[in-house]
Amino acid sequence: MAGRRSRFGGHAGALALLVTLSPLHPLTPSLRAQPETTVGMAGMLEGVVLPGSELERERKDDRKAPVVLRVVRVYPHGTAFRYDLEYQGLEPGTHDLRPYLRRKDGTPLGDLPPLTVKVNEVLPKGHVLPHKLEIEPGPHVGGYRYLVVGVVVLWALGMVALVASFFLPRRRKAAGATDKPVSLAERLRPLLEGAVAGKLSQAELAGLERGLLAYWRKRLNLEGADPAVAHAKLRAHPDAGPLLAKLEQWLHQPGEPEPVDVPALLAPYRDLPPEAIDLAGGTP
Amino acid sequence: MHDPTANGHPRSTAAPAGVVRFLDGVRARIGTVVVGQDVVVERILIALLTSGHLLLEGVPGLAKTLLVSCLAKSIALQFARIQFTIDLLPSDILGSEILDQRVNEFRVNKGPVFTNLLLADEINRAAPKVQSALLEAMQERKVTIGKEAFKLPSPFLVIATQNPVEQAGTFELPEAQLDRFMLRHRLVYPTPDEEREVLRRNMALGVKREGGGATARTEFDVLAEEPVGTIDDLVAAMEAAATVHVSDTFLEHVVDAVTRTRSHPDLELGASPRAGIALIKAAKARALVLGRGYVVPDDLYALAPDVILHHIRLTYEALADGKRGDDVLRDILHDLTRGAGKPALAARN
Repeated sequence: MAGRRSRFGGHAGALALLVTLSPLHPLTPSLRAQPETTVGMAGMLEGVVLPGSELERERKDDRKAPVVLRVVRVYPHGTAFRYDLEYQGLEPGTHDLRPYLRRKDGTPLGDLPPLTVKVNEVLPKGHVLPHKLEIEPGPHVGGYRYLVVGVVVLWALGMVALVASFFLPRRRKAAGATDKPVSLAERLRPLLEGAVAGKLSQAELAGLERGLLAYWRKRLNLEGADPAVAHAKLRAHPDAGPLLAKLEQWLHQPGEPEPVDVPALLAPYRDLPPEAIDLAGGTP
Repeated sequence: MHDPTANGHPRSTAAPAGVVRFLDGVRARIGTVVVGQDVVVERILIALLTSGHLLLEGVPGLAKTLLVSCLAKSIALQFARIQFTIDLLPSDILGSEILDQRVNEFRVNKGPVFTNLLLADEINRAAPKVQSALLEAMQERKVTIGKEAFKLPSPFLVIATQNPVEQAGTFELPEAQLDRFMLRHRLVYPTPDEEREVLRRNMALGVKREGGGATARTEFDVLAEEPVGTIDDLVAAMEAAATVHVSDTFLEHVVDAVTRTRSHPDLELGASPRAGIALIKAAKARALVLGRGYVVPDDLYALAPDVILHHIRLTYEALADGKRGDDVLRDILHDLTRGAGKPALAARN
């Protein structure tokens, strides 16, 4: 009988030990007194045995989460693990820490017992809180991205305008030179009429002389020649030479001007047809 | 209207006969030694008659030195030649004070610049301070040695040369210094006929006996020592050149040509009023050399490249386009003749 009791007593002790270590009975904070901290202060849960595979902190990007949890240490505990957890409550109230944990192997948490902690409010009741910051709408329409796009477009337009300012005047000048081709006849006519009437200024007389030179240079195909060479050839020409001599006598010789029959001198050039010789870029 | 007193006394249409004879004699004398180069001779005479200085550009061997030597001997002018080198000093040109140990006093030793006709050979080979020393003398026609200023002889003319090919080890004359030269003429090679004549004359030179030996005669040995005129003749010619008639019409041509250089899109720097003055003076001298008592547009067209080109500077864009000053000036003269409208003058400070 005593042997049977003794054998029974040994079995009971082993069973009690097995029950004590069983994962079905974890030593959880919920079973103990609920830990309490105040807002912003760190609290520790040490030696918490949680069943299942190893847990780690759930990474949360939510900056408004009421609790921040950190797994400080992990110890093997039979088929379970024992944890030292540190938490920090950012909002007053009772919080369950399970949403802040996950299994390392990715399996679901399963029947993990609740890990509730209490975070007490520090501020007294009726404390007046500051108003929340209000975001005022910006003066620009469309937000920062549109602002950037607008600035880039303006910059590009400015660059185009800057580059164009270098090239356009030159092109305009070149175009202006060919926009209104003035024929020699058109340019000479008022000068010839003025010369016959004796009403030309010195600048206009100079223009008349150059116009007649241009006529003969064009007529004798000397436009591309060196001006000095062209002039020498004009002097040697049977028709242009006498004209130059008469112009010289009229316009350049000193003293009392020798009588020059200006109307007769200029007569061959007074009835030139408008299309006689076009001088691109000429001005009347 | 035209002011008769501003343009000298009433003139005839022909230059004074004595002056023409003198100038023709000088040209003929030079022609006995130098073949061709009529334009260069004309430019040298223009420089001489206007007291403007002349810069000749050309490769070696175009008889630049011979030409100037011949001119000096033709008019009995004092002549000096300086070969510009990198180690030349201003005192080598102007002179310096030296200590006379017999009397223990400084005395002035005048340099070769004290002459009538100075040939500055290869002026761009000397350092800028030497160039400046000469150019100052050209501008002010006096030289300061120590504490004393000395007036240069009259007439005083500098004919400088530079070689446009070899640019290594040279100092290019800046625009401000080029401005001192009234004319800048580019020499060209003689024509085949002229070249043939040069060779014939050279072959006939022979040998010159000297002492106990002999040397080959050069063109310098055949320069006749007998001058064809005196300094008085030259002064009379200078006075005649100053009274050559310039019509108001010609003035308009010059003003138009000069102002066009200031508004041409290919030119960064246009011709200064000094260029216009030089153009008128040179035209008057050319008219006299050619026997006229008045200037005509031919003078403008003939002299514009030599007078205007070294007073203008092309823009970077024009240089990048491969344009040259000659091309731009030819355009301007063409536009002048055609009466093409002047581009709007850009405001420049």
